[in-house]
Amino acid sequence: MGNDKIGINKLYALSSEKRKFSFSLPLKHKIRIGKRNYEVKLKADEKYGTYILWKNRKYPVEIIRSRQNKYEILFNDISYSFTVETPFSLQRMKVLSSVKGKIEKELVTAPMPGKIIDVLVREGSSVLRGEPVVILEAMKMQNEIQSPVNGIVTKVPAKANNNVMKGDVLAEIKVE
Amino acid sequence: MDLSGKSYKAFLERQEALKKQYSPKQAEKQHSKGKLTAHERINLLFDSGTFEEIDTFVTPADQPVEFGKVERTYGDGVIVGHGKINGRLVFAYAQDFTIMGGSLGVVHSKKIAKIQEMALKMGSPIIGMMDSGGARIQDGVASLSGYASIFHNIIHSSGIIPQISVIMGPAAGGAVYSPALMDFVFMVNHTSYMFVTGPNVVKEVLNEDVTFDQLGGAEIHARKSGVAHMIYEDEENTILALKKFLSYLPSNNVENPPVVPDDGSVPDICEKLRDIVPDDPNKAYDVKDVIHLVVDRNSFFETAELYAPSLVTGFARLKGKTIGVVANQPKVLAGVLDIDSSVKGARFIRFCDAFNIPILTFEDVPGFLPGVDQEHAGIIKHGAKLLFAYSEATVPKITIILRKAYGGAFIVMNSKNLGGDFSFAWPSAEIAVMGPDGAVAILYRKELAESKNPAALKKELVKKYRDKIANPFIADESGYIDEVIDPAVTRKKVISALSALSNKWVRVPSRKHGNMPL
Amino acid sequence: MKIKKILIANRGEIAVRIMKTARLMKVETVAIKTSFEPGAMYLSYADHIYDNTEEGTDIPVFLDIEKLILIAGRTGADAVHPGYGFLAENAYFAQKCIDNNIIFIGPSPDALYKMGNKTIARRIALRGCIPMALGSEGNISDEEEAIAVAEKIGYPVIIKAASGGGGRGMRIIRKAEEMERLFSIASKEAEKAFNDPSVFIEKYIENPKHIEFQILGDTHGNIIHLGERECSIQRKHQKLLEEAPSCALDDKLRHEMGRMAVKIAKAVNYYSAGTVEFLLDSDKKFYFMEMNTRIQVEHPVTELITGIDLIEQQIRIANGEKLKFRQEDIRLEGWAIECRINAEDVQSGFAPDPGKIESLSMPADPFVRIDTGIQPGSAIVASFDSMIAKLIVKGKDRKEAIKNCKKALDKVWIKGTKTTLPFFRMLVRNLKFQDGTFTTAFIEKDLEKYYYNSEYEEMLAAWLATKLFIEENLKEDSINVDFENGKEMSPWLLNKRMNQF
Repeated sequence: MGNDKIGINKLYALSSEKRKFSFSLPLKHKIRIGKRNYEVKLKADEKYGTYILWKNRKYPVEIIRSRQNKYEILFNDISYSFTVETPFSLQRMKVLSSVKGKIEKELVTAPMPGKIIDVLVREGSSVLRGEPVVILEAMKMQNEIQSPVNGIVTKVPAKANNNVMKGDVLAEIKVE
Repeated sequence: MDLSGKSYKAFLERQEALKKQYSPKQAEKQHSKGKLTAHERINLLFDSGTFEEIDTFVTPADQPVEFGKVERTYGDGVIVGHGKINGRLVFAYAQDFTIMGGSLGVVHSKKIAKIQEMALKMGSPIIGMMDSGGARIQDGVASLSGYASIFHNIIHSSGIIPQISVIMGPAAGGAVYSPALMDFVFMVNHTSYMFVTGPNVVKEVLNEDVTFDQLGGAEIHARKSGVAHMIYEDEENTILALKKFLSYLPSNNVENPPVVPDDGSVPDICEKLRDIVPDDPNKAYDVKDVIHLVVDRNSFFETAELYAPSLVTGFARLKGKTIGVVANQPKVLAGVLDIDSSVKGARFIRFCDAFNIPILTFEDVPGFLPGVDQEHAGIIKHGAKLLFAYSEATVPKITIILRKAYGGAFIVMNSKNLGGDFSFAWPSAEIAVMGPDGAVAILYRKELAESKNPAALKKELVKKYRDKIANPFIADESGYIDEVIDPAVTRKKVISALSALSNKWVRVPSRKHGNMPL
Repeated sequence: MKIKKILIANRGEIAVRIMKTARLMKVETVAIKTSFEPGAMYLSYADHIYDNTEEGTDIPVFLDIEKLILIAGRTGADAVHPGYGFLAENAYFAQKCIDNNIIFIGPSPDALYKMGNKTIARRIALRGCIPMALGSEGNISDEEEAIAVAEKIGYPVIIKAASGGGGRGMRIIRKAEEMERLFSIASKEAEKAFNDPSVFIEKYIENPKHIEFQILGDTHGNIIHLGERECSIQRKHQKLLEEAPSCALDDKLRHEMGRMAVKIAKAVNYYSAGTVEFLLDSDKKFYFMEMNTRIQVEHPVTELITGIDLIEQQIRIANGEKLKFRQEDIRLEGWAIECRINAEDVQSGFAPDPGKIESLSMPADPFVRIDTGIQPGSAIVASFDSMIAKLIVKGKDRKEAIKNCKKALDKVWIKGTKTTLPFFRMLVRNLKFQDGTFTTAFIEKDLEKYYYNSEYEEMLAAWLATKLFIEENLKEDSINVDFENGKEMSPWLLNKRMNQF
C-alpha cells in the first residue's frame, strides 16, 4: 500500500471555520453515524454530472478550486473549503501558530496606474487568497486585483472612480 | 549467526553509536520547530526501502587551528545517497540541522560533491534538501572552497540532469547560491528562509527592522523575488508535490520525458472551449481554464505560480507525454508582458529546451507593459531574453493564439518566423501591429479631429479595423499562421502536431555558447 | 377575439408564461431574439420569432420603445404584452402603442402615470381616505423642509424617490442630524436611477409585514380583488419568497384591506391586473404604500389559490371583455408558496453569480408548479436578472405547503452557478418562518445563518476533499509513470541527439 509507505495513517480535513473531520487510511467509502455505517459513492453521469450518492439521495458536487492541499468544494449548492492535513502537518500548524502569534499585515497595491472601477470588499470582510479585492481599469482592461493572502480586510483606501498610481495601497489585509 | 567476534563487536558498537546520535530527543527538537528530521524527509521522498545512504560514518576533519568546538559526529550533518522515486533512480542529499546546525564543513561539502558527481555520471536527477546554518566557521576557508566546488558541480551538470533544491530551513549567505543555480526551488512556508545577509546585518548596516519571513521567507521568494518556484504550507505537502513534479521530468538531456499511460478519458473535442474567451475583447478570463481543458485531466502542474502571474508557466501532459505550457494570463494585468514575466518565461523555456520537453504556448497578449518604470529597469534587455529563449529552443514549439497578438509581443510569443513549428489561431484572434484604438488614433488622426462626432466615428473605425485587419484570417491567408481552428478541436490539433514533431531535430551551429542578453 | 397576435416585449420565464396561456387561447405570439441570449428557452414557445441579434447595442431591445413599435408593425402583432420590468410600467410606451393602433396589455397610460409617480399616488390615496403613513404633502425641496416635516410626523422617517422603486433612493432617518447627509444622498441616487431627483418623506413603519392585494379590473368599470399575498421575506427590498394567503390576516382584515385596495384602483379607473401594496404593523394597522401597475413576478401564488389565470384575464380585459366573476365568486382555497431560485451566492451576501446552467432538473410532484425560462445550457447573463426559476408549491394549509416546499426543494437540481436554494432550505426549517411571525426585517435582523446544511453534508464534503487529496498525492498509481518509455526513441533522433554532445 502506498499509504503506509509514507507513514501517514490518518488524514484530517480542516474546514475554514476550523472544524476538524478525521479519516483513517485507507479511506473507507463509508461514513459512520451513530452505530451504523452508511455507504458513500462518488459518481458521474451525463445527466447529473458529478454527484455523491448517500443514503439514497444524490447530492450535486463540484470542485471549484484545488490548490496544494486546499480544496474548495460546492456540495449541494453550498461551498466549503478544507485543507487536508496529515498528523504531522496538523501538529506543525499548532506549533507555528503558537510561535507566530504576531499580527501580520499584507498590503494590496496597484500593480499599474489606472482607474478603480469597483471596490469589492469592505473593512472587516474576510478574503481568501486569490479573491478579487478591487477592479482596476488599466490597459483598457478591467483587471481583478486579488488578495495575496487569506485574511481580514482592515483598511480600504481604494474608492471607486478614483485614479491610482502604481504602488498605491488599495487595501490592507490582516493575515490569518 | 554469531556476531560476537571481535570485528563484529566494533561494527555493532558503531551502529549503536549512530542510533544514539539520531535519538528521538533530537527528532523531538526538530519537530517542535514544525520541521521533520533529515531522515524523515528522505523516507518520505523515496520509495520505501530503496534509499541507500553512503558515507554514513564519515567524521568531521580535524581543525588546523583551535577555535570553537567541533562535535565528533558521524556523517557530518548531511545524509547523501541514492534511491528510487516512483521507481526511478534519483540522487539526493539532505542537510541535518540536528547536527551542528547542518553547518557546511569540509567533509560535509565533500559528501555533497561526491553525490553530485555520481548523479552526473549516471545521468540521474539530483535533489538537495537544505536545512543549514551556513558555512562552518571553524572550518574556515576550507568550508568556503567546499561551497565553491558544490557550485561548480551544479553549473557543470546544468542542462544535463535536472537539479532541484528544497529549502526546509535556513539557507543564508553563500549557501543560497546552490538553490539559485539549480533548476527549480521548492520552499516550505514559515520554516524556511533564504537571504544573502540576515536581518541582524540589515539592522546593523541599514538600521531597518525586518523579520526572517519578511526578508527571505517562502512567500517573499515566491511572490516578489521569484527565487522560489513552488511553496507549500508544510513539509509533507512539499515532498509529495516534489515527487509529483519529478514525474514530468526526464532523467537527463538525452532521454525523453517519462510517459504516463493515457487512459483516453479526455475527449479530443471539447465544446466548452468555445465559451471561455468572452465576446467583449476588453473582458478578462482565466487562461488556466483553457489549459485544463486542452491537457490531460488534472495534469497541469504550475511552476512559479505566484511570481509574475501575468504569464503562466507549468508542465502538463498530452496523451501522457510531458509538455511545457507557457500562457499569457488575461486575468492578470490583461496578460501583459513585463520584466518579471519575460524572465520567468525565458527561464522556463530554456529548461524545457534543455530537457527535450515540447513547448505549447497560449497567446493573448496586448503587448509589453509601457511606462518609465519598465523602460528604465530595462524591459528591452529583459524582453529580449524571452525572445532569445523562444528562438533558441529546438524542441517542438506550438502556439495557439486565443485572442490578442499585437506588435512586438506577437513576434516574441513564438511566432512562426521565430522558429515556431505550428501556429494555430482561434477565430477570436486579433493579429495586428497594434490594437484597434491605437491604430485608429494614428491612421485617422486628422479625420477624428475634424469630425463632429469623434466618438461615433472612432467606434465605427474600430469596428472596421477589427473586421478588416485585427482578425486571424489575413495572417492565415498569407501563411503567417498555419490554420484558424475551432477552439473545440484544439486538443486534437495539438496532439497531432506534436506527433508530427516527435522526431524533430534541428542542427544548432557549433559554438561555445550563445550570448544571451543577461 | 380582437387580439390575434401578441408581441412579447420581454424574455425569460415571464415570456414563457405569457406564451403558454396565449397558446391555450389560440392567440399567436411573437418573441424577440436578442444577441444576449440567442438560444434562450422562451424562443421555443413562440409562434414567430423576430431576429434582432444583428442589433449590436448595449441596451436590450425590450427597453427600446421605437424599435418595439417597429417590430410590432413588421410582424403584424396587434397587441403587446410587456411582462414585468423593462417597459411594463412606462406610460409613454403604453400611449405610443395606442397611438399606433396596438393594444397594450395592461392598464391605461393615465393610470400608469398616476401610480408611477409616488407623490401623485399619495395624493390620490389621501383624497380617497386610504390609510397611509404620515408624510409630506408632495415632494420635498431641501433638507430644511425635510427636517420640518420629520419633526411634525416624528422620527424615524423614510425618504423615498418619487419615481422610484426597488429600494434605490430610499433612506431611513432616525434623528435630525442624519438628515442633511442622507437627504442629498437619497436625492442624488434617485436622480441617477430614475432621472428624477424628487423625493418625499413618510413616517417609517418599523418591522412591518409586506401585504399586497391582487386587483383585476375591466374596461367596463368592474374592479375586484383576488385576495392578498405576503411578501415579507425580502432582502434589501428584493422579494425572495411569497405566499398566499397571509397568516397575518383574518377575514375581517382581509375584507377591509381588499376594500381599500379596490377603492384606490377605482380612483384611477384601473383596468387589467394590478397590485396594491400595504405595510401592516404589529398592531394590525395597515398603510397604503404603492400600486404596481403590471403583472408581478409572484402572481402564480394567487393563481394557485384562486384557480384564475391572471395572464388570460389580462388578455381578455385588453380585448374589451367583461370580468366573468364578481367579488363574491372569489374563493381562496389552500395555501401557495413561491421560492425565487436565483443565480446568487447566498454565502457572499446574495451576490449575483452569473454563469452557464450545466444541468437542471425540477421536481414533478403534483403539488409543484415551475415557472422558468432556463434550460440546461442556458446562460445567466449579467445584462438581465439572475432568476433561474420560480418554484411554486401548494398545500391544503400553510403547514402542508411548507412541508411540500421542503420536499420539493430537496429535489431541485441545478449545476453551473450558485443559487438561493440553500437559503430556502434554511427558511422552511426556521421556526419563526413556520409560525408566521416574521416581518420584512427577518433576513437582516433575525437570521444568523443564511443557508441550511445538514450536519452530514459538511462531513461528506470533507470526505470528498480527503479522497481528492489521496488520489492526487498518496495513491501509489496516482503517479503511474513509465520511465522506461522515455528511453525508447527513434534511432534517427537518438543518433542526432547523441552526436550533438
